[in-house]
Amino acid sequence: MEPAEAEFLAEKELVTIVPSFSMDRVHLIGGDLGPFNPGLPVEVPVWLAINLKQRQKCRLIPPAWMDVEKLEEIRDQERKEDTFTPMPSPYYMELTKLLLNYASDNIPKADEIRTLVKDTWDTRMAKLRLSADSFVRQQEAHAKLDNLTLMEINTIGTFLTQALDHMYKLRTNLQPSGSAESQDF
Amino acid sequence: MAEAYFPVGPGLGPEENFLSLDDILMSQEKLPGRAESNLPRLAFALGQGSGAGSGDSIPEGSKLEIPMWLAKGLHDSKRRLISVELPKIYKEAWRTVFSADANVVDLHKMGPYYYGFGSQLLNFDNPENPEIAQCILQVTWPGTVFLQSGAVSCLTYPTSSSSLLKPWQRHFQPDKSY
Repeated sequence: MEPAEAEFLAEKELVTIVPSFSMDRVHLIGGDLGPFNPGLPVEVPVWLAINLKQRQKCRLIPPAWMDVEKLEEIRDQERKEDTFTPMPSPYYMELTKLLLNYASDNIPKADEIRTLVKDTWDTRMAKLRLSADSFVRQQEAHAKLDNLTLMEINTIGTFLTQALDHMYKLRTNLQPSGSAESQDF
Repeated sequence: MAEAYFPVGPGLGPEENFLSLDDILMSQEKLPGRAESNLPRLAFALGQGSGAGSGDSIPEGSKLEIPMWLAKGLHDSKRRLISVELPKIYKEAWRTVFSADANVVDLHKMGPYYYGFGSQLLNFDNPENPEIAQCILQVTWPGTVFLQSGAVSCLTYPTSSSSLLKPWQRHFQPDKSY
């Protein structure tokens, strides 16, 4: 899966906005949205929030976890534990990128938040690489990783499976070619 | 995915993939060897005897650098036409270097197709085959670890002297957007 696909899925998450226009309830295939009244907060999916923000029709309210103290706690917790800690949102990376790119004026201390999320990401990726490394070196058959988000899985998934595939093909070299191919005649 | 061209990867086992460009280029790499008997009309294929017209025969016992595709074709344990030697990188000395630390070796300089070429070498009956196969396998994972950590620290990502990276460059691109 591409990062763009993961971002697309992340855009379904709900976020609170304060619209500056009014509109009646909208009936979409995925569900209803609205009604929109100026000055009253309403929950919408991120894709709509970004679109409205780009057209300067709303103000975004950052999610509860996108706050410097909370993110510092999360980052420190991640650094302490050897395993993966649960993340505030299964799409924390994508949401951070989207909201900070398009609505950084609505989010206080945007740069610090960006740094904190990136630190947490780096810690988790390092743990993931370490875990994959020990998995291969000790030739284990089964590994279980909790609390991974889709973006992290994507980053390592294709590469790890292809590396293991490569090694599997090389490992068949170790067996002497006793098994004849089925099409020999 | 409906793509017009889907690249075929190298076959990393006793058989090459016929349609794989990597395998085709890999089989052009040369092996040191000797002609065990007279090889009539083969001089042109080995780039020798260019001044003597089309095709001279190669006398018995002469040292040759044979491309892999020709070596595989001429190899036959019953009629001894050629005998091949292992290139340096697959010999005992280098194998111990690899088992100590695979990352210090610049594999690209030693020949760009370490894994594929090594797998093809196993076709020639050689008493050291199990050790060669084991060594190639053991080198694979440190290579991927090196590549992963290189991809994360994009600024210091080595490109040309990327020792163990040849099979992976196509598959793993550093993701700079996050």
